[in-house]
Amino acid sequence: MLTRDFVGGVASIAIGAVYLFFAYQLRTSALDDSMGPGGLPRVYGWLLIGLGAILTIQAIVSRRMAVAGATTDEKGEWDGQGRKLLFAAGLLAIGVGYIFLVETLGYLISVAVLLLVTALYLGAGNKGRVLSVAVLGAIFLWVMFVIVLGVRMPSGLLASLSL
Amino acid sequence: METLTHTAAFLFDWHVILAALIGVTWGIMGGALPGISPSITMALLLPFTYTLDPTSAIVLLASTYIGAEYGGSVPAILIRTPGTNAAAATVIDGYEMNRQGKAGLALGISLYSGVIGSLFGLAMLMTLSGPLAKVALAFTPMAYFALGILGLSVIATLSGENLVKGLIAAILGLIIATIGSDPVTGGTRFTFGSAELLGGIEPVMIMVGLFAMSELLVQASKREQDERVTSRPRIQFPDWPLAKRLIPAQIIGNGIGTFEGVMPGAGGTIASFMSYNEARRWSRHPEEFGKGSPEGIAAPETANNTVAETALVPLLSFGIPGSNSTAILLGGFLIHGIVPGPMLFQKSGEVVYGLYAGLFTAAIGQLLIGMAMLPVCIWLVNRPRPYLNAFIFALILSGIYSIHNEAFDLGIMIAAGMLGFFMRMLRFPFLPTVLGLVLGYLVESNFRRSLVLSGDDWMIFVDDRISLGLLILAFLFIGGSIAKRIYDLVRHRPTSTFSESAES
Repeated sequence: MLTRDFVGGVASIAIGAVYLFFAYQLRTSALDDSMGPGGLPRVYGWLLIGLGAILTIQAIVSRRMAVAGATTDEKGEWDGQGRKLLFAAGLLAIGVGYIFLVETLGYLISVAVLLLVTALYLGAGNKGRVLSVAVLGAIFLWVMFVIVLGVRMPSGLLASLSL
Repeated sequence: METLTHTAAFLFDWHVILAALIGVTWGIMGGALPGISPSITMALLLPFTYTLDPTSAIVLLASTYIGAEYGGSVPAILIRTPGTNAAAATVIDGYEMNRQGKAGLALGISLYSGVIGSLFGLAMLMTLSGPLAKVALAFTPMAYFALGILGLSVIATLSGENLVKGLIAAILGLIIATIGSDPVTGGTRFTFGSAELLGGIEPVMIMVGLFAMSELLVQASKREQDERVTSRPRIQFPDWPLAKRLIPAQIIGNGIGTFEGVMPGAGGTIASFMSYNEARRWSRHPEEFGKGSPEGIAAPETANNTVAETALVPLLSFGIPGSNSTAILLGGFLIHGIVPGPMLFQKSGEVVYGLYAGLFTAAIGQLLIGMAMLPVCIWLVNRPRPYLNAFIFALILSGIYSIHNEAFDLGIMIAAGMLGFFMRMLRFPFLPTVLGLVLGYLVESNFRRSLVLSGDDWMIFVDDRISLGLLILAFLFIGGSIAKRIYDLVRHRPTSTFSESAES
């Protein structure tokens, strides 16, 4: 029953319902135009729910037809997805870690750590090479963004060195 | 003819040549960095223009704009990250060609089409400024609304095998576009008390998340399977049969790019998506689109480079900047005491002719500089996957941070990456989301403004002739796409899909 389309349809209904809830909370004012700030968001919310329902029904019907024809392999559709999700979540965690550290450690240090940890996580074997890529990559990005483009990146721990 | 002779006099002015070459190089570098928009790239140069003579200053800024619009395609093809909003359509087939080991050819097609777009756009700018400017002035909020609907009509063809999924994806984009300040009343919507969301979400954050971050997550999710593809670090231009095949797509890109460029506010993104869609519609090989079609690169790249030139029409003719980039260019004019508008040609004709010559030099320079820079870029993306992906991750996080200097934006980009990852897992297409995101504000603001103007009379969209024409065109596009789907269904033919590297 849990085909990708079914999950997609149910997720769309859920997202649409949450969005619609907040769309109906939008305050109206006497200065609003007739449609108001909530007008189109409500239309979008209902459309998302409606389309989600259609996708769910489509998924159920095609599943029933497939079962009648005995041609599906539902289990195969989700095989290995849990492991994939776990690996992807690891990279996501590295990114979230960077967000929390960048302003404390500063750009130069945190981007070097990011390069090092990400490359190791993704399977880089040669430790010496990883370290040199992390250091040189961080310096390259720092020169590109901070020196050449003049972007104000956080200095963090290196603030006293104006880096 | 007079314009040509005046322009020719500046073609050998070394100040103009130098400014054009520096500008286009700087632009390509800026455009190639995700998060660094053409307007930021130009703004960084603005302080340097104070000391330059007016012609060189304007040429420097305008060439940067041209270079940045082109530069956006380089990461789009090589690392699935559109450097600019307008390069989002190039990701689809460009990255697919890269995956097939044809990065050199993909970059060659994009460079060659970009130069054609620039030269055609320049010809339009020089010869048709007057009539094109009149078209721009005729555009009312109703016409802009209809233009947005025309852009959204492309969704019907970009939805792949399941139209419902495409529509859901588009609505997700429209929903994201509603976050921030209300376009009519200025009240806040869906900001949940966050000051960072007041200005809305920059489309580039979502695009980088959807395309690049989700790709990194997918790569991370299958660590054991090394899908490394290497391309020869050499730019490869299309041979004659391929160049001939690209001509219709480039003509489409030129036509749509000219039309969209002169509309203030329309921009290169709509032009590139519409060109992509039309190129697919009229192609002899529509089944190749989404799977590495050369026309899928040629059409959007020609279009957004044409837009970069024709966007100067409303600026030079009326002093109306239609985008952030042309607003920076307007700033460049004003710094030197030049006021663009109807009197520009009489009062500062030499600056305009110098600008034309500079734009020509920039287009040719784009070709030479692209040929020199791109092999290095291909070599870089041929590095082992763990290092390359780590570097891409660091690059996109740095680029997104540089937009507002806020870590909050990184969270938005990562969230968009998660959304993209799940959309790929559930086989939803991205392109409708991007279209909804880019067009959401244009559609809503002009729809509501039109209703305010008409006192809630919906007939105003029919009474306005341009609006009516565009709406009819949009309905024809939608009707045609749906009819083709029904025809394919009846004949049991598979609907051509847009894989966008969907996860299995």
